[in-house]
Amino acid sequence: MIDQDLVRHLSESSVSVELETEEMTLNIGPQHPSTHGVLRLVARVEGERAFDVQPVIGYMHRGYEKLSEVRTYPQVTTLVNRIDWVSGYANEIPFIVAAERILGLEVPERAQYIRLILTEMARISSHLIFMASYPLELGAATPLFFALRERERVLDLLEGVTGGRFHPNFNRIGGVKPAYGSGSSTRKVIQDLPEGFLAETREAMDKVLEAAEEIEALVAGNEIILARTKGVGVLPAEVAASYGVSGPNLRASGVRFDLRKVEDYLPYDRFDFEIPIGENGDCWDRWHVRLLEIRQSVRIVQQAIDGIPSGPLQAKVPKVIKVPQGETYVRAENPKGEMGYYLISNGNQGPYRLKIRSASFSNISILPWILEGVLIPDIIAIMGSLDFVLGDVDR
Amino acid sequence: MTSSPSDTGTTTDPLQQFADGVAASVGGEAVIEFGTVKVRVPASEWVSALTKARDELGLVFFSWLSAVDWASEVEVGDPYPEAVEDRYELLATVADLSEGRRVVFSTDIHKSAPSIASLVEVYAGANWHEREAHEMFGIEFDGHPNLAHLYLPDSFLGHPLRKSFPLLSREVKPWPGTVDVEAMPGGEDEEAPEGPSEENPEA
Amino acid sequence: MGVVQKFGAPKPVSWLLNWSRKYSLWLFQFGLACCAIELMAASGPRYDFMRFGIIPLPASPRQADLMVVAGTVTDKMAPAIRRLYDQMPDPKYVISMGSCANCGGPYWDSYSVTKGVDQVIPVDVYVPGCPPRPEALMDGIVLLQKKIQGEDIREKWNRRDLEPV
Repeated sequence: MIDQDLVRHLSESSVSVELETEEMTLNIGPQHPSTHGVLRLVARVEGERAFDVQPVIGYMHRGYEKLSEVRTYPQVTTLVNRIDWVSGYANEIPFIVAAERILGLEVPERAQYIRLILTEMARISSHLIFMASYPLELGAATPLFFALRERERVLDLLEGVTGGRFHPNFNRIGGVKPAYGSGSSTRKVIQDLPEGFLAETREAMDKVLEAAEEIEALVAGNEIILARTKGVGVLPAEVAASYGVSGPNLRASGVRFDLRKVEDYLPYDRFDFEIPIGENGDCWDRWHVRLLEIRQSVRIVQQAIDGIPSGPLQAKVPKVIKVPQGETYVRAENPKGEMGYYLISNGNQGPYRLKIRSASFSNISILPWILEGVLIPDIIAIMGSLDFVLGDVDR
Repeated sequence: MTSSPSDTGTTTDPLQQFADGVAASVGGEAVIEFGTVKVRVPASEWVSALTKARDELGLVFFSWLSAVDWASEVEVGDPYPEAVEDRYELLATVADLSEGRRVVFSTDIHKSAPSIASLVEVYAGANWHEREAHEMFGIEFDGHPNLAHLYLPDSFLGHPLRKSFPLLSREVKPWPGTVDVEAMPGGEDEEAPEGPSEENPEA
Repeated sequence: MGVVQKFGAPKPVSWLLNWSRKYSLWLFQFGLACCAIELMAASGPRYDFMRFGIIPLPASPRQADLMVVAGTVTDKMAPAIRRLYDQMPDPKYVISMGSCANCGGPYWDSYSVTKGVDQVIPVDVYVPGCPPRPEALMDGIVLLQKKIQGEDIREKWNRRDLEPV
């Protein structure tokens, strides 16, 4: 029997107790189930509120920029797709385009379309990992399995074309890798995609759309997720721009800006797609923008498959490529944000200096600002919504 | 709109006009390198040029900041074919958020006393980028609140991205992929099949 | 416990203990880099490794049996790995997954990468690949299970770490 008087009394009276709290330093990481890798946060908390959170990075620093000075261009390509390791293919594109610009090469149309299709599939793969891991951090374990199941489909396609699930090494200077005939004794070059790739991709894209619907149905109406993400971690657009936050994080703050529309590293201007933006810049918007981006990527892939031209897969290049002297900066819309390469070449087989501008490095430089005065569980929610990968941060 | 990918030196008019406008506004020289606008400013004008870029030219997005070690003698990799003046070149890229225009600002710093004013007051994102440049090259940024190590452990000595910093594993064995083939017994030196080598890694 | 150390155990008993240990490994996911994504895929719906008796995600290293080091080990991270390994109670096993953890991998000449995790902790099984496919990881797990089945129980007891951490 519920005592209604007691219930009414309790709900009407507000009890306020001054809780004595002390300041404490809480060390989160570097090994922690929800820090996306080896990120360490040193949080000074008072009670349940953190007032000073400093990230300590560098646990995955592998020295890419120094290593690229002692490698040739194809060797750097194999290294470079391990920077943002969930979307491997997209990391190679700006680097190869930079080398091609300095060389003055014209990449064949078919190769550009293939690059575009694979980049969009890498974007879908990356956003599906986000769809899987972010609700898991918030406490919902089911979307993980749905998203991973769809991602396996996309990875199968990527593997069928490039041979690698997420480290493809498929780009070559001048185009994409032309496929060779079976057996090494026949050096006959078959310049085409595997049979049935385009039809299977079309089917897989339909399945990805269904999966996006499923995930939206599971997650978008869930009260707990809404309570944990709405209004949490609001990022105003000016602060984001000043820190260099880019990609879906910037678009969730209301800035309708996408490098695919303004840069010409790939022929995106031939396709019709929208740029989803958010309203408030909170965690919910960052999740929602990525879900909408999956749909737009599927749209682009479907249009690209319909319109793919025939032709060679790689421009005529010498066996040993030496890029003449020059420097240039090429940036691309990676799934995590803006990724760019400033390439200084010295006429040899490898770069003289390669500066890698990675998206997640700038994205998490905002953590000290955004995590001021938040509750401890919100730290995890905000960090997860920024969607970073430690290889991208530390290079 | 940036120029088309296969331009190797000829520039389209809007980009050249934009470059000249930026150079005139901040007081530097503009050059277009394969579609990238690069504006050189003297080191004393570094902060004021970028402040003007942010306030007057609408370049509010801070992309990155880093340096290049121009050295005539290098410990790793190949040197630049022409003679270069030994210096650090500091590069900072800023962009706008409407049309996608981007400018790489560049200035030179002497190697003997590498220091320059910090940009944290102008762009908040410069904080981490300057820490990285300090750690990798040894450049001092005046006015930076916290020039501690970002990537490397505290006990690391040296500045890795300087051209004078060697890679110790390579000193021991230059490239493990070179195939060392023993001669066949019986006195005859058979020709080893050509495997991948430094010259031709995709053989 | 002194009985096992001095006299060993009869064959059926040691077979039973090894069998139960090999099919109930609790996996401490030490996912550092790209190999961690393949580890996640191996635990996912398609390449399920739970059917071998391995369950992921113990609450802390003190409850784990098997540590899979998946990814590049840097000099900054190496002390943390050592400390986590020491926190695991005996009997414990280590699988080194991927070429970065085996020998430094593609970053063998970097100034900040440890050339292989076996410079820091003892490794039982090495799984090559960059990244190894989930099936390759499961092959490594099956190999470890075979190794466990063939273990001598007296040697195991005598070799264990007696220093608390």
